[in-house]
Amino acid sequence: MGRYIIRRSLQAIPLLLLLSIFMFLLIHALPGGPEQVIFNPHLDAAGRAALRARFGLDQPLPVQYLVWLRNCLVGDFGYSFATNQAVSAVIAQRFPATLQLFGISLLVALVLAIFLGVISAIRQNSPLDYTVTTISYFGLAMPAFLLGLFLQDIFAVQLHWLPVSGTTSLGYTFDPFNAFLDHLLHLVLPVTALSVLFVAGWSRYMRSSMIETTKQDYMRTARAKGVSPTSRLVRHALRNAVIPLITVVAIDFGAIAGGATITEGIFAWPGMGTLFLDSLQSRDFPVLLAILLLSGFFVVLFNLIADVLYGVMDPRIRYS
Amino acid sequence: MGEYLLEVQNLKTYFKVRAGKVRAVDGASFAVKAGERLGVVGESGCGKSVTALSIMRLVAQPPGEYAGGSILFEDQDLLELPESAMRKIRGGHIGMIFQDPMTCLNPTMAVGKQIAEGLRIHLKLGSDQALKRAVSLLEQVGIPDAATRASAYPHQFSGGMRQRVMIAIALACNPKLLIADEPTTALDVTVQAQILELISGVCNEFGTAVILITHDLGVVAGMTDRVVVMYAGKVVETAPTDELFANPRHPYTLGLLSSVPRLDEQRTRELRTIEGAPPDLLQPPPGCPFMPRCTFARAICRTMPPLDPVAGNAAHLKACWVDVTDPKEQAYADRRRKARLEAMQAVINTPTDATVQQTS
Amino acid sequence: MDVPGQINITPSEEEIEELLELTPALVQKRRSQVRIIFDRFIRNRAALVGAAYLILLFFFCFLGPTISGHNQPDVIHPADASQAPILKYPFGTDDVGRDQFARAMAGGQVSLLVGLTSMLAAIIFGIGIGSLAGYYGGIVDNLLMRLTDVVLAVPLYLLLFVLSATFSDGSPRSVIFLIAIFGWTYAARLVRGEYLALKEREYVLAARTIGARNFRIMFRHMLPNAAGPIIVNATLLVGANIILESVLSYFGFGLHPPTSSWGNMISDGQALYELAPWLVFAPGLLIFVTVLSFNLVGDGLRDALDPYMTER
Repeated sequence: MGRYIIRRSLQAIPLLLLLSIFMFLLIHALPGGPEQVIFNPHLDAAGRAALRARFGLDQPLPVQYLVWLRNCLVGDFGYSFATNQAVSAVIAQRFPATLQLFGISLLVALVLAIFLGVISAIRQNSPLDYTVTTISYFGLAMPAFLLGLFLQDIFAVQLHWLPVSGTTSLGYTFDPFNAFLDHLLHLVLPVTALSVLFVAGWSRYMRSSMIETTKQDYMRTARAKGVSPTSRLVRHALRNAVIPLITVVAIDFGAIAGGATITEGIFAWPGMGTLFLDSLQSRDFPVLLAILLLSGFFVVLFNLIADVLYGVMDPRIRYS
Repeated sequence: MGEYLLEVQNLKTYFKVRAGKVRAVDGASFAVKAGERLGVVGESGCGKSVTALSIMRLVAQPPGEYAGGSILFEDQDLLELPESAMRKIRGGHIGMIFQDPMTCLNPTMAVGKQIAEGLRIHLKLGSDQALKRAVSLLEQVGIPDAATRASAYPHQFSGGMRQRVMIAIALACNPKLLIADEPTTALDVTVQAQILELISGVCNEFGTAVILITHDLGVVAGMTDRVVVMYAGKVVETAPTDELFANPRHPYTLGLLSSVPRLDEQRTRELRTIEGAPPDLLQPPPGCPFMPRCTFARAICRTMPPLDPVAGNAAHLKACWVDVTDPKEQAYADRRRKARLEAMQAVINTPTDATVQQTS
Repeated sequence: MDVPGQINITPSEEEIEELLELTPALVQKRRSQVRIIFDRFIRNRAALVGAAYLILLFFFCFLGPTISGHNQPDVIHPADASQAPILKYPFGTDDVGRDQFARAMAGGQVSLLVGLTSMLAAIIFGIGIGSLAGYYGGIVDNLLMRLTDVVLAVPLYLLLFVLSATFSDGSPRSVIFLIAIFGWTYAARLVRGEYLALKEREYVLAARTIGARNFRIMFRHMLPNAAGPIIVNATLLVGANIILESVLSYFGFGLHPPTSSWGNMISDGQALYELAPWLVFAPGLLIFVTVLSFNLVGDGLRDALDPYMTER
C-alpha cells in the first residue's frame, strides 16, 4: 500500500512542475509582461529596481522561472496591489470561509447523492426513480448563477425566510449560541446552490454504479448464501458501488480553491471566490495568479488523494 | 421425510419478455435421495440452470415467475415458503456453486470473511469462531497455507482456487444438498478433474446429496449415480448412470451419446450430429419438443408422452412413445434420416432466395 | 413405454414426408446500423422531446425573426420601455424599450452558434490529439496525455475569466476560441481510450498488412468505430459550452455589446429584477431548457448507441 502511494505521488510531481511552467508562461504572455504582474502601478523607480532585483527580471528566462518557483515554494507570492499585504496572508485570511462553504456543500451533496442514487437504483423505473432522475437532469442543466439568483430571490427577498447574503447578520450582537444559529442560517442558501449541481451529477453516477453492481454474479452468491436483503445492500452492493463515486468526489473536491466563485459572488460570501472576483476587477495580478496556481495545485493534490482512496477501497488496485 | 430429500414435481418456470413468455422450464420432474449424486444434462438452453435456480428460488421475480408445480425439500414445498424461511434454507440447508468462479466472489471482501458470513448467519457463530471455522474449511478444500490465505482477496486466487473457495462457502454450514451448476465449465481441463474429485470427496464425507448440472457427458459418467436428461425445459429421460449409458431409450439421449466421438472409430467416418435446432421456447410446439429433430417421429408425437418407466426397469424412465430398441423402429429411423438428408441436399443445391438464414 | 399395438406401427412414406419439416428458415430483413440506432433513440421519449425542442429552437432563432416580424433586437422604443409581456412584445421590453422577443431570438442565434462552433473546434482538436496519442502510443501518448492533464488541472472558470479579461475583445470569435481551448480535453481522453482498444483489433492489422497508411487507418477505419462515444460527448459538450458562455457573459467576460447572447441578457436584466423579472426569466428559461434538451438528446444517443456499439 505504501509503495502504491509513493508511486502515485512521484507521478504527480512532473505534473505539478508542468503546471508551474504553464503558469509562469502565462505570466509572461499577459500583455505588459511580468512587469505588469509584479509591479504595483504606484511604485516609484527605486521600488521597481528593488523588485526587479528580487524577482530577477533582468535575468534570462529559465533563471527567472527558478527564482519564481523558489518563491512559490516558500509561499512568497508577492504583494497585493490593492492592499499591499502579502498575497499569502490575504489568501490565508479568505481561505477558511471557502473551505467551510465548499466543504459543507460537498459533504451534504455526498450524503444526498448516495441516498438518492441507491434508492433510485433499487426502485428502478419506479415513479421515485423518475422523479430523482428528472431532478438530476434539471440540476445539470441549470447554470450555477441562475440557480443562486433564483434561490436568493425566492427565499430571501420574497419570502424573507433566509438572509440574502453574507456570513452573519450585520448590526446585531448575539450570544454564542444564537450567533452560531445565525451563521447556520446564512449557510443554507449558498450551500444549497452549490450542492445542487454536485448532487445532480453524483446521484446519477451512483445510480448507474449501483445498478451495475447489483447485476454482478457475487450478488447472486450472497443471495444463495442466505444473506438478508439489507446486508446484501450494505456489505456487498454499496461497498463496491460507492468506490467509483468516492474517487469522483475526491476529484471534484480538488476544485475547492475556485469552485465556489460564482456562488460566493452571488451571496457575497467572503471567501477566495469573492477575492478572485474583486482582484479581477482591480487587475490585482499577484493575487489572481496566486489563486490560479493554488487551484491547480489543489486539483493535482486531490487527484492524487482520489487515486490513493481508490487503492484503499479496492484491493484489486493496491495489490497489482 | 419421504423417500426423497428433494422432489421436483412438474416445475414450470417462465420468463416474461416483450414478445411473450419464454418457457424455460416446462413441466420438469425428478427426485434426489439423501446422499445421492444426480447429474442433469442437456444442451445450452434446455432449462437445467433455470431448474437449479428455481430450487433455490433465486430466479429474479420479474421477469421470471414460478408458473406451476412444486419443489418438495424434506416434504416442504419450497415454492410456498415465505422469503424469510427460504433465506434460512439457502446456504443453511441447500448450498449452491456457480459456473464462473472469477466473478462469483465479492472483490472487496477477504475470502475468509465471505466464508464466515454464512456461518454467522446460519450457525450463529461469533466472528472469531466463524473465521476459525472458515480457515479449517479452506484447508479442507485444499487451499494451502489456509490461515494466511483467509485474509487474502479473491483476485489473488486462480480460477481453480476460487472455485474451491466457492465450494467451501457452499458447504460451510453442512447443507444436506449441494447444487453445482456447471462448476468446471469455466476451468482448465487439468483443474476440472481436481474440482470434481474435491466435490466428490467432501460430499461423500458429509453425506451431502449433489445435483451436478453439466453439458459434459464425461463428467456425468464419472461422478453421478443417476442422470436426468433435459430438453427444451422438460425431462426426457432419467436412469441410473450406468444404465443410461448402456441402454439409452430416448431418441435425444441416443443422439447425444452417438455424437460423442470415440477413440476406436474409423478415421474417415463423419461425425454424427443431431440435425436441426432447439425449439423456440416462446411458442413451443405442442407435444414432444424433440419431434422436429427426431428420426423416430410419428403422428402420435404431437401429444406429449408421459415420463414412464421402461419395460422391465422401474428405475429407468423415459418420455417417449417409441421403443427404440425395436429393430423395425431402427430401420424406420434410418430411412427417415436418409430421406431427410436428401431433402436437405436438395434445398442446398437449388439456388433460391426464399431461405435466407439470419444471423443476428 | 412400449404399449403393444398401434404405437409400434412404423409410418408410411406419406407420413414421413409430412413429418419432414425442416426448420422454417428465418427470413428477416436486415436493418441498417443507422436504422437500428434511430429506432432505439425514438423509443426514448425524453430524448425525443429534447430533440423536438431543439429543432423548434433552431427554427425559432433563425427563422423566427423573419416569420414573426420581430427582427429589430437593438432598436429602442423609449415609449414602450419596461413593458411586461403582451401580444406586441411577447417577452416584454427592457428599460430602454428593446424588444426582448427579438433579443431572445438574436441572442439565441449567438448562443447556439457559439455553443456549436466551440464544440466542433474542441471535438476536432480532441480527436486529433486523442487519435495520435491512442494510435501511436508510447512517448507520443505519454507527452500528449501529460499535456492534457495539465490543461485539465487548470481551473477552467478562473483561467477563462483571467484570459478573457486580458485578451478577449468581446467578439464571438474570441469567446469561441477561449472555450474551445479548454473543451477538447475530455474528447481527447475519450478518443485516446477508444483508439487504444481498437488498435488491437484484427482489421487494423489487416489494413496495415495491405500497406494502408497510418492516417488512412486512423480516420477511415478506426474513427467510425469510435464515433459513438464521441457523438455523445459532443452533444453534451454543446450544453456545457452554452452554460459556460452564459456564465462568462453574465460576469462581463464573454460577449460584449453590440453582440448579445442569452447570458448578456440576464446580466442586463438582473439590475431590474424587482421591477421586470421577465427580463431574466426569458433568457434564463431558454438557457435551461436548451441545455436540458441537449443533455437529454446526448443521453438518448448514449443509450441508443452503447449496447449496440459494444458488439463491434
